[in-house]
Amino acid sequence: MMTRALLARATPVLACLGLLAVWQAASLVLNNDSFPTAIEAIRAIPSILGDKEALINILASLRRMAIGFGVAVAMSIPLGLMMGRSRTVASFFNPLLMVIYPVPKAALMPIIMLWLGVGDIAKMLVIFLGVSLPVIYHSFAGAKAVEEKMLWSGAAMGLSSAQRMTRIVLPAALPEILTGCRTGLVLALITMITSEMIARQSGAGNILFNALDMGQYDTVFAMIIIVGAMGIGLDALFERMRARLVKWSEPQFDIPVSFS
Amino acid sequence: MKARALTTDAIFGVVPIALVVAIWQALVSFGYAPVTLLPPPGLVFARLAQQLVTGTFQQEIAATLFRLFAGFAIAVVLGVTIGLAAAASPAVNAVVRPLVRVLAPLPKVALYPALLLLLGFGHESKITLVAADALFPILLSTYYGASMVEQKLIWSAMAAGTPRREILFKVVLPAAMPSILTGCRIGLVISCIVVFLAEMITSTDGLGHLLVTAARTFQAVDMFVPLITISLLGLMLNGALEALRAFLLRGFPEV
Amino acid sequence: MTALPSRSNIQTELKPARKPAAAMIEIDHVSQTFKTSGRQNHLALSDISLTIEDGAFVSILGPSGCGKSTLLYIVGGFVNPTQGLAKVRGKAITGPGPDRGPVFQEFALFPWKSVLGNVMYGPRQQGVRPAEAEAQSRALIEMVGLKGFEDFYPKELSGGMKQRVALARTLAYHPAVLLMDEPFGALDAHTRTRLQNDLLNIWERDRKTVLFVTHSVEEAVFLSDKVVMLTRSPGRIRQIVDIDLPRPRRRTELLLDPRYQKYLVDIERMFDDADENELRP
Repeated sequence: MMTRALLARATPVLACLGLLAVWQAASLVLNNDSFPTAIEAIRAIPSILGDKEALINILASLRRMAIGFGVAVAMSIPLGLMMGRSRTVASFFNPLLMVIYPVPKAALMPIIMLWLGVGDIAKMLVIFLGVSLPVIYHSFAGAKAVEEKMLWSGAAMGLSSAQRMTRIVLPAALPEILTGCRTGLVLALITMITSEMIARQSGAGNILFNALDMGQYDTVFAMIIIVGAMGIGLDALFERMRARLVKWSEPQFDIPVSFS
Repeated sequence: MKARALTTDAIFGVVPIALVVAIWQALVSFGYAPVTLLPPPGLVFARLAQQLVTGTFQQEIAATLFRLFAGFAIAVVLGVTIGLAAAASPAVNAVVRPLVRVLAPLPKVALYPALLLLLGFGHESKITLVAADALFPILLSTYYGASMVEQKLIWSAMAAGTPRREILFKVVLPAAMPSILTGCRIGLVISCIVVFLAEMITSTDGLGHLLVTAARTFQAVDMFVPLITISLLGLMLNGALEALRAFLLRGFPEV
Repeated sequence: MTALPSRSNIQTELKPARKPAAAMIEIDHVSQTFKTSGRQNHLALSDISLTIEDGAFVSILGPSGCGKSTLLYIVGGFVNPTQGLAKVRGKAITGPGPDRGPVFQEFALFPWKSVLGNVMYGPRQQGVRPAEAEAQSRALIEMVGLKGFEDFYPKELSGGMKQRVALARTLAYHPAVLLMDEPFGALDAHTRTRLQNDLLNIWERDRKTVLFVTHSVEEAVFLSDKVVMLTRSPGRIRQIVDIDLPRPRRRTELLLDPRYQKYLVDIERMFDDADENELRP
């Protein structure tokens, strides 16, 4: 039992090592100047993180990301829940959201920069836009799926409609909301990197393309490892928190299908 | 009754969109925003209509659509295949699960510079990026749908004489179809977004490239046109997929 | 109405009623344990031995959680017994096969196929040509009373109609044994009695072997030649009751028949005694 649990924990690490091994082998086989080996890329990481300016840049990016994500979540959850419980609110916002959905949020960067300059506000606004939609949609779906009878019981117990929202709908929809937040978190990181790639001012995305332009291929690949690790790390951290918050609703995702 | 409720919904839903356009127009009309920064909606749509009939603009759309479809198609084929295999075979599952766990939350756009170095600045790197981004929602929802197939559907088919190796295609695939198509819908929107972004980051053609070119010369009107175009394309493709979905799932109870 | 040509049909005509028939299903010292989340394993079935004759209608009756469905799944070949052996026509059961057709409480119809598509699935799988499979299936759909619904999808049908389709789908590949897993358990009382009557009418024609799982005493007595009573957790055979009532059976006649009433009372009493024993600390 213990070893199995330990093994289950270790598999993502093994997967990472496996991917790095494949990379190493591929680069050795291709023997291409612009494709450094995994080991060379890993060696370049300390020099990036040791560079004070780069480190401050990356941390500033993360701070903007956290603020954009936080504001988006704080605004999207109430909106999504209201849409889920009220047909009127849903039919009011749905078409607007549908139109916004396929617009690449990071692509608004040049326009927003035109209006607001290249400051923090512009960057946070783009992240905010990127995060909002999935959180709204998942909150919406979660609130919609709450059983009517649960709300009737709540009303019978004398809860006001606002209380029903916070005490019944919110917890009942929490698993779905957190799924949306998890998607949103990864999207926040993606939007951040992409907008930095487009704006080319500062941050991780900018470092990536500067290195590319200057032919510092070790740095390019080292940055990819850093950004990838950020994504995987943030996701794992959030997943841990999510699992703790919604212990009661663990979906049975792992049922093996017995036809093989 | 139902039809009337739907039309009321539709009328109601147009209100916020109209409101956005009205505010947009008001901002310009009352001089809050200079025309150079925020062109009035009429100007933007007129420009869009004018552009749509030109051959060069159509070529840009074609370039974007080609990359979009190629990437999306690769993602669908790989996602459905791997998802089904992971649900059917414990051995595949043991390999795929940790890999997906690591690769799904990885910001694929960070791989773009590497793809540029390895595959060049042409179609290949962009198509690969689109496929990599659209792959995971499709793979995960296929896996999820295939794992959730009702056991008794499989038993019924086996009792009717279906060999085990055919169960995957005759029962699991069709039964998982609602979930697979949900994944495809998400994958399609992601494809739209990613292809545009990839073209913005580095390209010589496509809608994303148009936006960047316009931004360099501060042509606000021309910045809005490709954005609106990609959004309309997204809506149209989504509508097409929705129609396909309604046809394929005509037997399934509505979710 | 089309009578379906099947081998068992001819056999019933040749052999006298159902007395010294060959064994269709033999269950030999079968036990089943399930792994549960904890360390302890759950013993669902314990040492079941049972022989079911060709052409017999046998019910397995027991409280919920007694493993009666599990026994049916073992005969179906869907579940392998932990111990013991189940045989059909003398051959050990190693997996599902078209000689044993299940009908589930949940209907388990293919939602992506129409009524006709569902019923045709089995014959097509058996290699019957499309035109022939369609003709057979249409006849069966008519037999279960759903003429005119061939092109409907399962979602458009009521529960009772879905179960009729499920029965037709199973009958379509001519199984020698029907395995019915609380087939009418999800239906309302009225639909349930109608389907019981119709099932008996259909069964009277070719007298397939039926293994019928239920927790309703009335249903078991009304339908069966033999009622196998199981105990609760672990499931053991408590008693086998032969139901010696004339066929064809009519519900209205049976309800007034003292012999029918006595069977009901006797079986209910046996369960009551058992419940009292189980409730003791």
